[in-house]
Amino acid sequence: MAKVKINDVEIEVAPGTNMIDAAQQAGVEIPHYCYHPHLSIAGNCRMCTVETETPRGPVLEIACNMQARDGLAIRTDGDRVKQVRKSVMEFLLVNHPLDCPICDQSGECRLQDYYMDHARHDSRGVEAKVSKHKRQDIGEQILLDAERCVQCSRCVRFGDEVTHTGELRLMNRGDHTEIGMFPGERLNHDYQGNLADICPVGALTAKDFRFERRVWYLKETDGVCTGCSTGCNISVCHQEGEVFRYLPRRNDEVNKSWMCDPGRLRHHEVGGLERLLKARVNGQPGDGVAAAAASIKAVGAPKVALVLGTRASNEANWALAQLGKALGARLYWVAGNDAGAIEKSDGFLMDADKNPNTLGCRLLAEQSGAGDAEALKAALPELAVVLALEDDLVTRLGQAIPGLVALAAKESPTTKAAAVVIPVAHPVEMDCTYTNKQGRVQRNRRATNPLGDAAPAYAVVDRLAAALGKSLGTQMPVVTFLALSRAVPRMNGLDYKSLGPGGKLLAPAPAAALGGEAK
Amino acid sequence: MEDTFWIDFAVVVGRCVFAVAFVMNIVPLLIWGERKGAAYIQDRPGPNRAPLPLPHPLDTPKVLFQLLFGQSPKFKPYVMVRAAGLVHTLNDVVKLAFKEDIAPGHVEKFYWFIAPVIAMTIALCTFAVVPFGDSFLGYNLQVSSMDGGLLFVLAMTSLGVYGIMLAGWSSNNRFSLLGGLRSSAQMVSYELAMGLSAVVVFLSAGSVSLAEISQQQAGPIWNWNVFSPFGALAFILFWVSAFAETNRTPFDLPEGEAELVAGYHTEYSSFRFALFFMAEYANMIVAAAVTATLFFGGYNVPFITGQMLREHADLLVMLAGFGAVPAFLTFAVIAIKRQSRPFYQSIPKDDPRQREPLFFASVWGGAAVAHLGLGLLGALGMISGPLGVEINGTHLGPEVVAFVAQLTALSVKVLIGCWIFIWVRWTLPRFRYDQLMNLGWRYMLPLSLANVFGAAAWIIVKQALFA
Amino acid sequence: MPLPKPQKTLSFAESSYLVEVIKGMVLTMGHLVKNIIDQDRFRTVEYPDVRKPMTARYRGAHRLTVRPDGHVKCVACMCCPTVCPAKCITIIAGEDPSDPAEKFPVEFDIDMLRCIYCGFCVEACPKDAIRMDTKIYEINAYTRQDMVHNKSYMINLMDGLKPEAEDVYRHDPAAAPAGYTSDEEPVA
Repeated sequence: MAKVKINDVEIEVAPGTNMIDAAQQAGVEIPHYCYHPHLSIAGNCRMCTVETETPRGPVLEIACNMQARDGLAIRTDGDRVKQVRKSVMEFLLVNHPLDCPICDQSGECRLQDYYMDHARHDSRGVEAKVSKHKRQDIGEQILLDAERCVQCSRCVRFGDEVTHTGELRLMNRGDHTEIGMFPGERLNHDYQGNLADICPVGALTAKDFRFERRVWYLKETDGVCTGCSTGCNISVCHQEGEVFRYLPRRNDEVNKSWMCDPGRLRHHEVGGLERLLKARVNGQPGDGVAAAAASIKAVGAPKVALVLGTRASNEANWALAQLGKALGARLYWVAGNDAGAIEKSDGFLMDADKNPNTLGCRLLAEQSGAGDAEALKAALPELAVVLALEDDLVTRLGQAIPGLVALAAKESPTTKAAAVVIPVAHPVEMDCTYTNKQGRVQRNRRATNPLGDAAPAYAVVDRLAAALGKSLGTQMPVVTFLALSRAVPRMNGLDYKSLGPGGKLLAPAPAAALGGEAK
Repeated sequence: MEDTFWIDFAVVVGRCVFAVAFVMNIVPLLIWGERKGAAYIQDRPGPNRAPLPLPHPLDTPKVLFQLLFGQSPKFKPYVMVRAAGLVHTLNDVVKLAFKEDIAPGHVEKFYWFIAPVIAMTIALCTFAVVPFGDSFLGYNLQVSSMDGGLLFVLAMTSLGVYGIMLAGWSSNNRFSLLGGLRSSAQMVSYELAMGLSAVVVFLSAGSVSLAEISQQQAGPIWNWNVFSPFGALAFILFWVSAFAETNRTPFDLPEGEAELVAGYHTEYSSFRFALFFMAEYANMIVAAAVTATLFFGGYNVPFITGQMLREHADLLVMLAGFGAVPAFLTFAVIAIKRQSRPFYQSIPKDDPRQREPLFFASVWGGAAVAHLGLGLLGALGMISGPLGVEINGTHLGPEVVAFVAQLTALSVKVLIGCWIFIWVRWTLPRFRYDQLMNLGWRYMLPLSLANVFGAAAWIIVKQALFA
Repeated sequence: MPLPKPQKTLSFAESSYLVEVIKGMVLTMGHLVKNIIDQDRFRTVEYPDVRKPMTARYRGAHRLTVRPDGHVKCVACMCCPTVCPAKCITIIAGEDPSDPAEKFPVEFDIDMLRCIYCGFCVEACPKDAIRMDTKIYEINAYTRQDMVHNKSYMINLMDGLKPEAEDVYRHDPAAAPAGYTSDEEPVA
């Protein structure tokens, strides 16, 4: 470990740590525009200038281009540093338009924050500001306003280093420098939304979120993207029960700071037209849980199949497995993708398996001896009731299923074919965990209240068990997860607290490794 | 026999109706005086918005002409009269009469319903023994010419507390109950001082009949009891007690809106509230009338006895008639001058209120003309002469003049008394309960006792000296 | 703890109340007589007929200002609903492709029943788009819904008003303070 001194406070960090991160660990914030932990160092904004102790006395250097080493001492609160920051801010703001009232970035804009923290100068400009191209439509997801740009080149480096497409370039010279693309070119990748995230100012803004809501109204809740088995960590931005956007949440082990556009746009399904809000019995509104319980009672447990869901949380799967055990019903699990899933895989964040919890489901299926899709297909003629937990079984099996009871958050061919449909909560509406393709158990937190009559799947299963005269005690996610982690050897020792913001890997498999984990 | 019965019956009914009408007509006037007086004391204009559309006297020929020739009037043939807020009282009556009468579920129904009736009845009953003239065609001008008149007054004021007590108790809430309790305690305390100050008047008059007491005070004003030795102190004590008995500020603790919501009448609405409201003013009128009778010569016109009034009826009418003319003309001029006030400049030219000053000027002018006529009647000796119908050997003319003059004298005294009630209310703050009890028991009671002894001693001395 | 001493002991005349009562009554009668003689002493404004001239700082009903090209000045920056302590302003933002200002309020509602007339919205507005200079204080309606002033109402609020309710410095620009710009610029 390297001992570095930041403002006379000595801390130990790993050698080679960037000094902006090291300062952060010491509780000192170094303002910066161009530095990004997951991009290369450009060092062109000069905002992170600090003083280093050298034999020649204190010298001004940029902190982002400085790696921690033993004996390194920096100072971030000297008068010279303050003067530099002030000058940099004044310089950056010379041509910056006063667009704050209409700019979506305001509220989370580095220029606004740093002006208030470090500059507070009056404008000395007498010449007219340089006008550049505004409101340029450069891609599916992104609008570019060149006037607002501070030429930090984060977006250029993102294109070069992350997506390897390199569309955006800095053009022209001097104060006419602006971000742009070659004529006729458009952004053409699935990670455009990240450009709006990394842009420290309002130059690149997201079309999807444009003018939707001021960011200072939004509350952010930690969640997990349920778009594919990668399980990108996200922040759910919501206000008064309405979800407005997903932002990637930094997790260096899973998604770094990025997420894909299809995942980002999934917030529309929370309150979308496809959302299931009311229970249906044979196409009519009714008490779904009572109807499901009645049909299970009528046919008897041996003719009932409970199908664990790859889209459902660990808690819901555990609840259903417990119900199957209590009833003596058959358990199955079916891999595959639902209707309408874009089975795109790019080897980066987007995975071909579009289910967030395939691994968790499979783990529980193996634990409880559930049969797979083939077994289910073979057993179908003997079955009178098949309960599908959030998965689109009709599409996955490719055939009609008798006595289908569907627990689902949104409409699918399965819910359309089902005799009984029970609405369950969307992931942003419940506390639960998902196990991604790495075997990482990640926590997803409740951001909003369930819409309509929906309730978390584990609570719905609990209610169904109660209607069948069984007590599962799975309505509380914390308790359910504890029971689950105690019962499943590879999850032993995990609880909600120890999962932390970044999640925990499953313990390695004792004998044969699971196939999906090998990737 | 038959004839006399019906005449006597008519006279009794007439006296009752007159007494009630006298009190009930002054009540709205007092309410107006209370509002306007309070406003002027507090430097604000007070009520002056409610208008009453009235035909304009000067329009009559025009309207008649147009109606005769079958035309519809081409102008607004009325004037909005606001009469300095007098119309508000009229509006109040209509409002209170038509408001919803709410009886809360928790009240003791029977007592709650009769409490305001008791309050109002007692207030009106007390007036029964107050004489409002010496005689008219040989009939007593007093509803009941009982001998123990003053005792009746004292008895009735004691009964008056029942209305308030019952209201406070039957309302079944703590604020009303406290109001009722305070009221009874206060009335009991101050009745003593009131009765003892009245004793001074009995002693000097040698009678408790109010008619007799009034009669004795005829003539010059030094005959008034207030100017007798010990009479002045008796008057002050009586008057202060009267404030307490009528629950007027500074003794209005039973209402005490700051601490008791509205005291005993918190639960009352609509006309039941109006009854309490009117009873308060009726009580004031009665208190003022009794005080005037006891101490200020009652119906007697200062320096002029009933005999003189009858003898010089013509002269009196002439003086009053001619004397009133300049006064009414001055009023007319003032009314016209009001046209230039900023208010009339700021309202539209066709507003019906624009002609209000002219309306009043014409009313005052009409009054001046009428009084001129009255003065002429007197000057020509018509009252005791040609117009004086003779009934039972008495001229009607001089009798009417005497009656009107004495009634006017009593009314003026009553109104002055009532104005002092109002005036004090807008000057003094309310007493604290302990101060109230202190004043009643530790100062007023001993003082009035001493006053009675003093007065008695003076009468003995006087008899010893002059008899 | 010793009780505080009474500040002043009353003289006999004072403690008998009578003298003081008469003094007070003389005072009140003085006011009454003065007011009867000269009725113009009253400061009371006979309201519906006579109206007080409102000061330039008076905060009346809100209005929305427009640019010379007819667009509403508001760009839906949400500063006013953010600063509003009564939470009475509701704005739905939209994009106008033809307008260089990009953003405009599709809906702009103020619930006048909740408004406390603090004027923070005017202070917060970066575009001088909302003003409370109408001097309108008679804000009333028969239904709650009608008490919600919408965008077109607030834009047209100043139409057909009496001169005193208009821009105070419009007719006398010389009297305007430095930096004051009249809202009623001639349309270019």
